[in-house]
Amino acid sequence: MGSQNASAKFPMVALILGTACGNPATSRISSNSLPVDAPDLSLSGVAFARLTEGRVSARGTAERLDYRRAGARLEATRGGAVIHSSPPSAFGSVRFVAEQIEGEVANRRGVASGGVRLDASRGDSARTERVYYDGDYIRSDTKVAAEGPGYTVTGNGLVARTDGSAIELSSGVAGQLQAEARR
Amino acid sequence: MTFTSLMLALAALPPGPLDFKARNMRIEPQERRVVLEGDVQLDRGDLNVTGEHAVAEYGKEQPAQSRKPRGKPQPRGEATVVGQSVERFTVIGNVQVKRGDRFAKGEQGVVDVPGQTLVLTGTPEFPPVVRDGPETLSGDRILLRLDSEDLDVVRPRLVLRRSLPEEGSAKPAMPVRVEADHLLLVRARRVARFSNDVVMRQGDAVVRSPRMEARYDADGQLTRLELRGGVDVRQGERRATGESADYDAKARTLVLVGDPHLYDQGDVLTGDRIDLSLESKEVRVERARGRLRPEAHGGEGGRP
Repeated sequence: MGSQNASAKFPMVALILGTACGNPATSRISSNSLPVDAPDLSLSGVAFARLTEGRVSARGTAERLDYRRAGARLEATRGGAVIHSSPPSAFGSVRFVAEQIEGEVANRRGVASGGVRLDASRGDSARTERVYYDGDYIRSDTKVAAEGPGYTVTGNGLVARTDGSAIELSSGVAGQLQAEARR
Repeated sequence: MTFTSLMLALAALPPGPLDFKARNMRIEPQERRVVLEGDVQLDRGDLNVTGEHAVAEYGKEQPAQSRKPRGKPQPRGEATVVGQSVERFTVIGNVQVKRGDRFAKGEQGVVDVPGQTLVLTGTPEFPPVVRDGPETLSGDRILLRLDSEDLDVVRPRLVLRRSLPEEGSAKPAMPVRVEADHLLLVRARRVARFSNDVVMRQGDAVVRSPRMEARYDADGQLTRLELRGGVDVRQGERRATGESADYDAKARTLVLVGDPHLYDQGDVLTGDRIDLSLESKEVRVERARGRLRPEAHGGEGGRP
C-alpha cells in the first residue's frame, strides 16, 4: 500500500513526542485525541495499488483511510477501486465506488455502503445501497439497479461471484431485455 | 371469434425491448445468456408469455465498445466483446402465451427473435394447445409466426366447434374435429391447409383425405372445407368415396364429386355428385344410377 499527497497523522508518534516534552497542555491534548478505538494509521487523499504475484490486481483511491493492525481492519471514506480479476473474467475489470468502506484484510471481508456503484469493462453497471464482500462472493440485500449489454434490471438483492462467472439478482426482479428482430 | 382471429391474435411481435419479471435473474456472461427463474413473465406490446423458467441467449459476439452509448463512462481495463441482443428465448414449465383474450400453452416455448417464431411443444399427455374461446387447436408442435401471422402445426388436432353456424339450430351443432400430419395456417389467404392423412370427424362420421383446406370469410367464420386427392367417408354401415369433396359449413353438408360412390349395406349408388348430411345422415345423389340390393345388407364395398 502506498500513498500520494498524503497528509498523514501518526497518533502514536504524537503521543510519544508529547510525553517527552513534559508539557501538561500537550499531555491533555494527547489523552483527548486518542480514543480507545483510534486507528493505528490514518491517511487522507489515499491512492493505492495492490500487487498479486508481481502484477497490479487492484488500484484505488480514498478520501480518507483508517487502518488498525488488530484484525487488519480498515475504514475508508469515499473510496473507489478498479479490480482486475485473474484469470480475466467475462465481465472484465470492475470499478467500484462507495461512500463508506469497512473491511478486514486478513479475513477478506468487507462492507461498502452509502451508494455503491459497480462498473465492469464489459459494459455492465450496478447501483445499490450496500454490498458485503466475503472473498468468493459479493452480496447485497438492498435494492439493486443494474444494466449491461442487452439488459436493464432492478432487483431486491444481489449475489455475484468474485471470479466474474455469474451475477444473480434476487427477491423479485423486473427489467428489459433487448431483442430486436432481423430487419 | 374463430380460427382466423386466433391467427391474428398471435401475430406480429411489435419491435422494441422485451419487458420481464421473475423471482431471480442470473447473468452468465461467459455463456452469453441470462437465466430467469421463478414465475417468469415476458411482455412485449400485448403479447404476454409466462413460465417457470426462461433462458435468454444473446447473439454472436460483437465489439462492445462500438455499441456504447455516447457520454457513458468507459471503465478502464480490457474490453471484452459481447452480443447485445437476445436471439432466442426458451421458456420452460407451464408456458402460457396470451394476446388479448386468446391463449396458447405448452410445456416449452422457444422464441426465435430473428426468425420471428414461437414454437410451443408439450408432452404426449399434455400437448401444446392454442385456444380461442371454445375453439381449440392442439398438436405435437405448434409454430406461431410472429411476423406473417401464420401458424404451422405438426400433427394438428383441431375442434371447429365455434366455426359452425348455430343460429336457428334446435340443438347445438356437433363439433367438427380434424386431425392431420401437418397444418399450415396462411392468414393472408384466410386458409388453413391440412396435409397428409387428414381425418375429419363429426359425430360418428369419419372423413379421410390426403389434403384439406379450410376456408374462412372476412369475419373469420369457417365457410368451406375442401378435401382433395381422394375422399373416403364412413358413417356407421355407410361408406362414400369420391375424388374430392367440399364441406359447406353453412349447409353442413359434404358434397362428393369426381366419380362419387355410395355404399350402404349392399346398395351401391353413383351419380354426378353425392350430398351427405353428416348430422342428419340424409343422402342426396344427383343423376343417380346404381344397384339396390336390400336383401344383401352388410355386403358393402363392391363397385357397380
